[in-house]
Amino acid sequence: MTVEKRRQIESAVALSLSTFAAFLGLFWLIFILGDVLVHGVSAMKLSLFTEDPAPPGIAGGGLKNAFIGHVLITLCATMIGVPFGVLGGTFLAEYARGRRIARIISILSDIMVSVPSIVIGTFIYAVLVKPVGHFNGWAGAVALAIIMIPVVLRTTEDMLTLVPWTLREAAFALGAPYYKVIIQVVYRGASAGILTGILLSIARVSGETAPLLFTSFNNSFFSVNMNEPIASLTVTIFQYAMGPYDDWHAQAWAASLIIMIFILILTIIGRLIIKWRYGKR
Amino acid sequence: MKSDLTLNAKDLDFFYAGGVQALKKINLPVLKNKVTALIGPSGCGKTTLLRCFNRMHDLYPGNSYKGEILFNNENILSQDFDLIALRSRIGMVFQKPTPFPMSIFDNISYGLKLKGLKSRNELSEQVEKALINAALWDEVKDKLNVSAYDLSGGQQQRLVIARALAVEPEVLLFDEPTSALDPISTGKIEDLIVHLKNDITIIIVTHNMQQAARISDRTGFMMLGDLIEFDNTDRIFTRPSQKLTEDYITGRFG
Repeated sequence: MTVEKRRQIESAVALSLSTFAAFLGLFWLIFILGDVLVHGVSAMKLSLFTEDPAPPGIAGGGLKNAFIGHVLITLCATMIGVPFGVLGGTFLAEYARGRRIARIISILSDIMVSVPSIVIGTFIYAVLVKPVGHFNGWAGAVALAIIMIPVVLRTTEDMLTLVPWTLREAAFALGAPYYKVIIQVVYRGASAGILTGILLSIARVSGETAPLLFTSFNNSFFSVNMNEPIASLTVTIFQYAMGPYDDWHAQAWAASLIIMIFILILTIIGRLIIKWRYGKR
Repeated sequence: MKSDLTLNAKDLDFFYAGGVQALKKINLPVLKNKVTALIGPSGCGKTTLLRCFNRMHDLYPGNSYKGEILFNNENILSQDFDLIALRSRIGMVFQKPTPFPMSIFDNISYGLKLKGLKSRNELSEQVEKALINAALWDEVKDKLNVSAYDLSGGQQQRLVIARALAVEPEVLLFDEPTSALDPISTGKIEDLIVHLKNDITIIIVTHNMQQAARISDRTGFMMLGDLIEFDNTDRIFTRPSQKLTEDYITGRFG
């Protein structure tokens, strides 16, 4: 009787604590998202996308330069990071499978995922900004690519490992060489998972600020020259939010909302792909 | 007599990585255009032996062979034997269906494309022929572009057989091809195997003794890495010469 009673009380305490913790987390999450949504929507204007920034203190202007710059940096980062990540993951899951080097790289890659991005920013500053003498877009793209690589690499490795070995054996049994087995059969079996990993890694880097502060910096003018400093949404948000003008604050809110929506869309697409590919079997 | 042998294992030893000996001095002559069945309790080495014939073990480092396997009088265990060529001449069907994640048509034409066939017309012809040979054509002829995963398990297994047949191998190795299938699908596959031996040589590993008795011409009984007895199927199942074989087929162990 007393034992049962005690268990019931323990259970009730555990349940209410975990429920409380969950709601506390959710509360802040919704608070942040809601705040960005309210401020962002009220600051949303068409001129945001069509005009470059006005001189400081003067009302109006937009963030066209930052939008284009951000897309450009992210695109270049993807083009650098994805091949390295996918090929590296392929090496780990296929050619180095079961060997010690594969485990070591996997662990290092997991550590890389949690390295603060500012560390990567300063590292790239040292190797790609300082020697060149000025901030430049490429340095930003490489910094973001380095953040992407471990994410893509580990997802690729995991997804390839999920493809059953019998499938590879079946392809070998038809006389296929290993590289064809990988490209034509294994990649196809893992394509949805790898694509999702890529999308999520893009989502991950599109919100990064610290590595860009040290590398591509910012540019108040429209520029698509990756050899020069180039504007990005996140750095612009940082700069505008710290600035003294209400107009800057409003534009920073709008930019935050847009990045948030972009990440939301990528995440939803990622989830849809997983559901569509793995859900029905 | 010698020319009637397609494959011939001579004093074959096989060691898994780590040195465990899985096959001991196997001597197995495989007759051309016959069905050879391998039976025996789990872990006896029958699948290991089967996988020697297309050197599947080479995919995993550390495995080693001793002795020889003659394939049309050539030793396929020699170091410089071209494994890609070997595997396109000796096909394999696995326990669970292994369709590739692509359409039915692309599955069947996969091996043909590996061989360098490109012409769409020729591919279509060969695909149709392979599907007819695997008794699957009537069921899939209107949906060749559908994913192979949409087929039932039994259909997938026949699809995999068709895929192996498309490259016109001389030998097909079956590793318990019906153990994951229902009785009706099993019946279809068994009929198919008996029909196929007109053109090719078949080696089948099976857990099901009735299946060996129904479809094979020759049966080998294995235990703990030894080939205990190898003879005509009706002899193995009516008056085996070894006590162990008799005990196994009468269900006294295994």
